[in-house]
Amino acid sequence: MAEIVLDNIGKRFPNGFEAVKDLSLTIAESELLVLVGPSGCGKTTALRMIAGLEDITEGDLYIDGKRMNDVLERDRDIAMVFQSYALYPHMTVAQNIAFSLKLSKRPRHEIRERVKETATLLGLENLLDRRPKQLSGGQRQRVAMGRAIIRQPRVFLMDEPLSNLDAQLRVQMRGEIEALQKRLAVTTVYVTHDQVEALTMGDRIAVMREGSLQQIGGPSEVYDRPANLFVAGFIGSPPMNLAQATLEAGDGGIVAQVGSTTLPVPAEVVRAQGLDEWRGKPVVLGIRPEDLHGSDDGASGVAATLPATIDRVESVGASLLVHFSVDAEPAKYAGLVAATGGEHLEEVPLTGRTGASFCASFEPRSGSRVGDAVDVRVDTRRLHFFDPETEASLHATQETA
Amino acid sequence: MKRIRRWGPGLLLVSPSIVLIAVFVYGLIGWNIKVSLSDWRQAQPSSGYAGLRAYRDLFHDAVWSLDLRHILIFTVVFIVGTLFVGWTLAFLLDKGVKGEGFFRAIYLFPMAVSFIASGIVWRWLMNPAPGDRETGLNAVFDHAGLHFLVNQWYLGQNWGMAAMAMPAVWALSGYIMALFLAGFRGVPEELREAARMDGASEYRVYRHVVFPHLRPVTLSALIILGHISIKVFDLIVAVGGKQLITQVPAVYMWIQIYDAQDYAKGAAIATLLLIGISVLIIPYLIFTVRSERNA
Amino acid sequence: MSTVAQAPPLAAPVRKRRRRRTIGLKYVLLLILAVIILMPVYVLLVTSFKGVIETDAAHAWSLPHLWSVDAWRQAWTQLSPNMRNSFELVIPATLLSTMLGALNGFALSKWRFPGADLVFTFFLFGMFIPYQAVMIPLTQLLTNIHFPTGIPSLIFAHIVYGIPITALIFRNYYATIPDELMEAARMDRAGMFRTFWSVVLPISMPAFVVALIWQFTSIWNDFLFAVFIVTDPSQWPVTVALNNTTGSLVTPYNLQMAAALLASAPTLVVYILLGRYFMRGLMAGALKG
Repeated sequence: MAEIVLDNIGKRFPNGFEAVKDLSLTIAESELLVLVGPSGCGKTTALRMIAGLEDITEGDLYIDGKRMNDVLERDRDIAMVFQSYALYPHMTVAQNIAFSLKLSKRPRHEIRERVKETATLLGLENLLDRRPKQLSGGQRQRVAMGRAIIRQPRVFLMDEPLSNLDAQLRVQMRGEIEALQKRLAVTTVYVTHDQVEALTMGDRIAVMREGSLQQIGGPSEVYDRPANLFVAGFIGSPPMNLAQATLEAGDGGIVAQVGSTTLPVPAEVVRAQGLDEWRGKPVVLGIRPEDLHGSDDGASGVAATLPATIDRVESVGASLLVHFSVDAEPAKYAGLVAATGGEHLEEVPLTGRTGASFCASFEPRSGSRVGDAVDVRVDTRRLHFFDPETEASLHATQETA
Repeated sequence: MKRIRRWGPGLLLVSPSIVLIAVFVYGLIGWNIKVSLSDWRQAQPSSGYAGLRAYRDLFHDAVWSLDLRHILIFTVVFIVGTLFVGWTLAFLLDKGVKGEGFFRAIYLFPMAVSFIASGIVWRWLMNPAPGDRETGLNAVFDHAGLHFLVNQWYLGQNWGMAAMAMPAVWALSGYIMALFLAGFRGVPEELREAARMDGASEYRVYRHVVFPHLRPVTLSALIILGHISIKVFDLIVAVGGKQLITQVPAVYMWIQIYDAQDYAKGAAIATLLLIGISVLIIPYLIFTVRSERNA
Repeated sequence: MSTVAQAPPLAAPVRKRRRRRTIGLKYVLLLILAVIILMPVYVLLVTSFKGVIETDAAHAWSLPHLWSVDAWRQAWTQLSPNMRNSFELVIPATLLSTMLGALNGFALSKWRFPGADLVFTFFLFGMFIPYQAVMIPLTQLLTNIHFPTGIPSLIFAHIVYGIPITALIFRNYYATIPDELMEAARMDRAGMFRTFWSVVLPISMPAFVVALIWQFTSIWNDFLFAVFIVTDPSQWPVTVALNNTTGSLVTPYNLQMAAALLASAPTLVVYILLGRYFMRGLMAGALKG
């Protein structure tokens, strides 16, 4: 267990490309920190810099108070689980796991003991004599973890360990890895592009984009109080609905004008996000799909409605995703990036509809259909507002003000 | 400092080889050029400077001109022949036939045989003896009624070297076949299928999808065959010995050293061979390294 | 050939007939070419088993009337000392140059250093040069440094000049090993030699096969180096002996052919036994210039 400090870490490749810019964070002892972001955001590069597989071109890395920039990876007492597992193909499971111990010249009986212990911990006891090509994806993943665990390092690094597994296995392994980490209490840095994984596994989440840190905090903090438009759109699936709006005085307080709809803003929201200063100014409004309800939802705290005609309906079993257009301008921001492909999503309306496309999460058996006219009920306590220029959330701006 | 610790061992590992190559390839090439510019023309080494004497001698040497003509004819026939046969074999095998392994093994086996040994057989096959001493391929042609094919082979007055290329084509077609086969099969099947779905006939599929893919392989093949051809020595010695009518630069060099003891002239020939090959190889090496980097 | 989009049912049998004809034609061509390629082998075998009397022009192509092993016996007597020289040459030279190639290929592709590609090109050029260009100075140098003459000198020369091709074979093969495997070994605290020995070498078999077979064949069949470097006829490898005495024009045909076959026997055996692995390596691009 060790504390890791990244102090303005940067990575510039010889061809000029800056993969990581000015990254500062502290990972506490025994914490599981998740680095999450779309492809190319620099999360893997940051991980590899901690490991020592990449040279740090700017800034300093400290582990347990000691500067590690010039220390070789083998001397950092760090174990890494690679995305492709990188198991030694000609060695058995037992030999794969034991390799590092063999190199440290530990006595043979000790090695055998510890291999057995680790194998039992991971459910690999019956596979010790198999070769990697005889194992399934999940089994290989566990061997890769075993190889890391047996060294009892002070830091674990995991580079997208679950992305090569199929969906069901991934869900199962998530829980197992988390439980294992808690049990072993080793400081862990976990990289993934999957925001669901990030939310479920991390003690804290660090969201990255194009080499820079966007926000760091616990899962609920990142989810409920995203620091900027990118985090708001990236964390949460289906993503937060965003549209341009203006704040006006009205109704004894502030109202948000979204297209032709006026939504009253509750006083505590005005206070928490400092909306008074934004009267008359354009803002970006955000509301999560689960905070938009159907008429027969029986949800409380709903003070406003958004009239809409349903464009599309997706049934995902546990809920009904209802898509409709709002006659406001969609929010345009630099961070509009698809999570896995790193593609920049252009608003290409295949249906020829204009305006912002919103998604509401209705009760699964609400019976809504394409073409239905609905009054979508908005839980205005859960409205988010963002500065259209800086893309920062208004509550974050207010906190720093 | 840490970076040197990282890759230092790698450099250390190859350094003996670097030294060996530096000395035995580049150093000796330099030495050879030096000898070619010296006056060493007898058994005892001599290091007096004689300038371009040896080169000038060659330039005016009728034998050298003959050698150049011979190697040119040989090269053209050899390259064209080998590419054609190798390509054809690869084309026939491309779609997979029963017993492909068996056929491939047959076409490749000539690579295992030395030119000296195969030279002995081909010398017999290409025996130009006429009349009732007629033998080898000439005998086959006569018995098959193909009298027009009977000829002097490698002892032919003007085009003998074309015949000399036959054993070389025999020896290397298999290798070129392997290159082209790998090239053919490197075309993703999906590409061919997409073309067929778009309505292309097999001929069109080959012409527009497969052949463009083969350009780099053809280039490799050309370079490899070219450099083998310029250096050809074993085969000529085995079939034609030191005869003038089959002489090529590499053999002439051997004669200069062992018979005429004109070391400077021998070294000059060697240097010219090197220049000839460099013209071929250096652009190719630069091209490959650059394309590897871009890949 | 017919295009794909044909509706009428008549098209199917026509296409099948055409395809069968094409395949038939293919086989015919392949067989003809195979026969042509094998023709010299036929000549070698048939002539080598004839007695001297039968080796005249009239019976050139026919099978032996009287099968005789005279030629073989003679060839063996004359060539076996040279065969022995060849083995003494080939075995150490092949093993050493292959091992060196593995180490070089590994350092050039997996444990790289700045300028690794430059060094590789530096090596590669050495593979293409006409060896004639270094023969004179090579022999001189070896004499000057009093290197043991004969076969040892030849072994040394083949190891040195084998550096480029063996490095090429191994470097191309090692390029297919994922870098992450090296990184995992580094994280497991393995140094360069450890990584090579425990992680890379055990999975190098395909490259080893290609390199061993290629070097064995090239060195056994080499004539140029041998003829310049080995001046003592008793030390001649079999290729030189074959050319200068046993296989020369003055000896009878049956002896020539038997000698040629005998001299080629080891490489042919290697080819027959291990050829498919070599082919596999070739097809995988181990030797793509």
